[in-house]
Amino acid sequence: MNNAPEKITVIIKGRSYWADSMGRLRRRKLAMGALAVIAAYLAIVLFIYAAQWTSLDIPILNWGQKIGAEYQPPSRNAIFGTDFLGRSVFRKTLYGARVSITVAFWASIISLAIGVPLGAAAGYFRGFIDDVIVWLYTTLSSIPYILLILAFALVLREKSLNLKWLGVGKVELSGIATVYLAIGLTSWVDICRLIRGEVMKHKERDYILAAQSYGCGSSRIIFRHLIPNVFHLIIISFSLRFVSFIQAEVILSFLGLGEKNNPSWGAMIDAARLDLPKGYWWEMTAATVAIFLISLALNVFGDALRDSLDPKLKVQ
Amino acid sequence: MCYCRDTESLTTRRTTAILSGLLSFVLLITSGCDLASRQTDDNTTTIYGAYTAKVRGLDPGDIGDTTSSIIASQMLECLYQYHYLKRPYELIPCLAEDMPTVSADGLTYTIKIKKGVYFTDDVCFADGKGRELVADDFVFAWKRIADIKYLSKNWWIFDNRIVGLDEFREYTKTCKRAADVDYSKEVEGLQMPDKYTLVIKLKKPWPQIVYLLAHLPTAPIAKEAVEYYGKDIINHPVGTGPYKLKRWHKGSYIEMVKNPSFRDEYYPSEGEEADAEFGILADAGRKLPLNDRIIMVLVQETPPLWFLFMQGKIDVSGIPKDNFAEAIDFRGGLTDTMKNRNIRLLTFRDPSTYWLGFNMEDEAVGKNLPLRKAISCAVDRDKYIELFTNNRAEAAYGIIPPLMKTYNPDIKNISETSYDPQKAIELVKEAEKIHGGKLPRLRLSMPGTDAVFRQYGEFFKLCFSKVGLDVEIDYMDWPTFQNKIKTKSAQLFSLGWIADYPDEENFLQLFYSKNKSPGPNNFNYFNPEFDRLYEQICVMGDSAERDALYRRAEKIAVKDCPAVFLSHGVAYILVHDWVHNTRPHAFGYGLSQYRRVDTAKRAAYDELLRSLK
Amino acid sequence: MTAYIIRRLLYTLPIVFGVLLITFVLFNIVSGDVSDQIAGKAASAETIEEIRAEYGWDKPLFLSRDSQFINHLKNSLTFNFGRSWSDRELIIDKIKRGAGPSLCLTVPMFIGTLAISISLAIIVAFLRGTIIDVLSVFICVAMMSIPFLSFILFGQYFLAFKWGMFPVFFWPDLPVYKYVALPALIGIVAGLGGNLRFYRTVMLDELRNDYVRTAFAKGLGTGSVLFRHVLKNAMIPIITQVVLAIPFLFLGSLLLERFFGIPGLGYLMIDAIGARDFQIINAMTFIGAILFVVFNLITDICYSIVDPRVSFE
Repeated sequence: MNNAPEKITVIIKGRSYWADSMGRLRRRKLAMGALAVIAAYLAIVLFIYAAQWTSLDIPILNWGQKIGAEYQPPSRNAIFGTDFLGRSVFRKTLYGARVSITVAFWASIISLAIGVPLGAAAGYFRGFIDDVIVWLYTTLSSIPYILLILAFALVLREKSLNLKWLGVGKVELSGIATVYLAIGLTSWVDICRLIRGEVMKHKERDYILAAQSYGCGSSRIIFRHLIPNVFHLIIISFSLRFVSFIQAEVILSFLGLGEKNNPSWGAMIDAARLDLPKGYWWEMTAATVAIFLISLALNVFGDALRDSLDPKLKVQ
Repeated sequence: MCYCRDTESLTTRRTTAILSGLLSFVLLITSGCDLASRQTDDNTTTIYGAYTAKVRGLDPGDIGDTTSSIIASQMLECLYQYHYLKRPYELIPCLAEDMPTVSADGLTYTIKIKKGVYFTDDVCFADGKGRELVADDFVFAWKRIADIKYLSKNWWIFDNRIVGLDEFREYTKTCKRAADVDYSKEVEGLQMPDKYTLVIKLKKPWPQIVYLLAHLPTAPIAKEAVEYYGKDIINHPVGTGPYKLKRWHKGSYIEMVKNPSFRDEYYPSEGEEADAEFGILADAGRKLPLNDRIIMVLVQETPPLWFLFMQGKIDVSGIPKDNFAEAIDFRGGLTDTMKNRNIRLLTFRDPSTYWLGFNMEDEAVGKNLPLRKAISCAVDRDKYIELFTNNRAEAAYGIIPPLMKTYNPDIKNISETSYDPQKAIELVKEAEKIHGGKLPRLRLSMPGTDAVFRQYGEFFKLCFSKVGLDVEIDYMDWPTFQNKIKTKSAQLFSLGWIADYPDEENFLQLFYSKNKSPGPNNFNYFNPEFDRLYEQICVMGDSAERDALYRRAEKIAVKDCPAVFLSHGVAYILVHDWVHNTRPHAFGYGLSQYRRVDTAKRAAYDELLRSLK
Repeated sequence: MTAYIIRRLLYTLPIVFGVLLITFVLFNIVSGDVSDQIAGKAASAETIEEIRAEYGWDKPLFLSRDSQFINHLKNSLTFNFGRSWSDRELIIDKIKRGAGPSLCLTVPMFIGTLAISISLAIIVAFLRGTIIDVLSVFICVAMMSIPFLSFILFGQYFLAFKWGMFPVFFWPDLPVYKYVALPALIGIVAGLGGNLRFYRTVMLDELRNDYVRTAFAKGLGTGSVLFRHVLKNAMIPIITQVVLAIPFLFLGSLLLERFFGIPGLGYLMIDAIGARDFQIINAMTFIGAILFVVFNLITDICYSIVDPRVSFE
């Protein structure tokens, strides 16, 4: 009987928004499966980075090593067969996760880092700041996305970025950096628009008015109050955009604008298009399946996330 | 000639994005279309071909790439041409009446032009009838190349060669607009005593001039056409050749038809001994061209190109590197898949050498001979040839390819750079001593970014890492690559050279110090002894003495190891059995006129395919 | 009303200016000088000077009456993009020529995708909650997850080459519909997943409305509710979607055109990328943006006419 008051407290407290959403999410088996796939991919990538950091001598890092004759079909020695130099397609596929996921990750970070603050500022301050930001993103969004991304990738390639003022010195933009910069710099528009709209709604709510009346500064209100309250939008957008970034890497690689010194799924598909007419289907298939699985998992998980965090939200 | 993908360069100083060369074969391909349309034109014969890079324009003065040259050469002609069948390659008159008369000092060339040659009918002429060709059409064309306002890529041909032409170029610089240039201004070295005679005066002896007079940019051009079409002349080739342009869907296909006003030219009646045996002389004496129509389709991706050939849509194909395994077995013969389809394989030596060049002005590699040798010894040429050409190219250790008269089979022993990883490892140690510490990471520039270049790059990286050399591969597009070479900022670079004409001088000039970047000496190689020899050679006419000097010059250069010589090209062509007279040619371009197509056989191919299924 | 249209028109001016500013910064400043590229390998310094003068690159960037930026504005707004440096052809001619083939491919592709995905969406929406619905959503997501390049490569290899159901490539003597069939089919299949999923959501949103409940309550059959009411009301988001997609139809498809030899604008774009022909990319970007702005304007004006609730303020 001693426990009774505690029980009551629990009931009164209810569950927080996040706990509630996560609970809903956890009940979806498919979403959990998808999450497991995503986690596995991330684990591979993190493992590769860690192994590189500590210079471990493991097979994946030696993707460039010849393991058998050229163009061996899948067999017990080489699960996904070998490529034109007799290298393991399996190792390349795993290693390829590093480039593809790194690209998608940084592109997402860049687009959020630009889109969220700009959207919040536009929605919160309105007036002139809003006009400028809206003008900027309307302009960008009126240029067809694929052209914009290609244009950025093309002009950024082989450029060096002068970051002396940051104390970093000159940074050469090669391969992978060009790709995620091009994608990131062009894809912040949607998230910016979304955040702006949401912030405008929240701005009139009591908790913001209260914060203002306490004399909180604008930046405090934006970062401590507004952004946490629209954070679920950021997560949803992040998970759904990730997929399109992985696919964008494939197209950029095909056009010769991607990472070249390390295998990426895009580069593998690009190389394998030459092999396919001969009937060497395994490299193509391995890369396609790798992309397929992560995209599927992200899509399924993103949908589930959206449904549980914000059932009313429509994201195409 | 530069053999690069998609770029200017055939002539543009003939350098070559080498690897690209291997790949970007401009295939003279051909094919049959739908059965239905084959039967509708029963009397006309059509050659179907494909090309793999965009045609940049058909104005001879501005043509600098292989694809445009091949297509324009079906319609435009020069003073001289190569005999289709005779080997070694021999020049014969084309628009000229005869070979030139050369003065004793080698400075004055007198050339008679054939009478009764007419430009093809075109709206640019009065009442649309083609005008007769005269000497002035050549002088006009060459002045145009000199005209700086015209921005020709081909000025290198005449640069500092002809008396008065350089002055004409200086004069055009003073003009404000392109329209202000007065073409009637006399050039002392280009005289026309009468309508059909051309006298060329040279500043110094230039025995190679005859080869350049067979080179497409020196083709004559009618003033009327330039005036009528203005800048659009790139779309309207008005020539004297066997074909004329009918339709050109830019970026898609080109259709050429027999030029009705083409003069009487006949299929050659002599060739090599074996030619008669192979039926190549069967058409001797027949009036050219042997077929009525050429259709060339632009196909830039490898898979569809191969599919089209296998389906019999195009008549002739190079073998995309990646389809070697399907087409040719390891002994170099055709596979059963090909034999069942009655496909023939033709191979011929390309006058080409491919290499990984060193920038001799680079701090790390330029001053370190053991390092350059180590890199050279690290590359497994046999594996390279096996992987990328299925054992058919020849390993290279020197500059001059086996096709040339002065090819030196012993050069391997002189350069001492054959594949030897053990030796390479020792040389690396030696190189480290010279460098004074661990070697820096080296950078190899590749002239392309697509999958094929990546395959080459990955191969080299594998070779280097085996001997402990740290080399990073930089893939860049052709314009960026070119810029890197031009500004001497590449360290190692993958390139090659395909001779423009059958004279070794064309290779040796690549190592002459006055040709340093932005000139064709991409290595920025400098050796006073070599320079002295080269200067001596380049004014000499063909002789045994010159051959000996060529060999000596090559030895000097090779000892300094300015490049990792990789391979001498061998070209492959697959031909369907309905195409006759397919004699490969290393220098000639306007060859479609000699081909004969058996339409009945072509029509039967669909049947054959069905039965194979 | 007129005032609204005028205001709306004025509102596009800063957008157009913004696009011009972006293209200028990208292609004239960030991209760097390409005059030595144009000149070719063996060019002398004089030739390069000559080229710089011809293209106006020797002028100041901004801040002058004859600056590069002013010329960029003038040229772009009059659609005078000059000649491509790689083959000296007028860029506008290239674009005009490419629009036709691109439309031949994209229009059937677009209509096909639309028709199939909307019809399927209605069926799926009607069956919402059933296993078929869940399955079809899953299939959609799965299809969205396959890289486009894989669709093309596998499609060309199997359907055209191996099984001979379609021509493998563009061919001069073939009628257009024959060689466009396969790329269009691949485009439809590749785009189906995303579209079906989108239209399903649109339909479901409509089904949640009160009028649907009323219609059912009146005793109308499902068929007539779906087609007479739901589809009609769902038309507005669909039409918006359609109108805004039109500018993209003009731009063609990069990969499909390249692999099937369709000489459209997508192909032109790929070539321009390979040759670093920034002027072509600049022209394409500008034209694409202008089309988008214009069609946006048209949609807004149509809205204001159709829907009296749109405020003219």
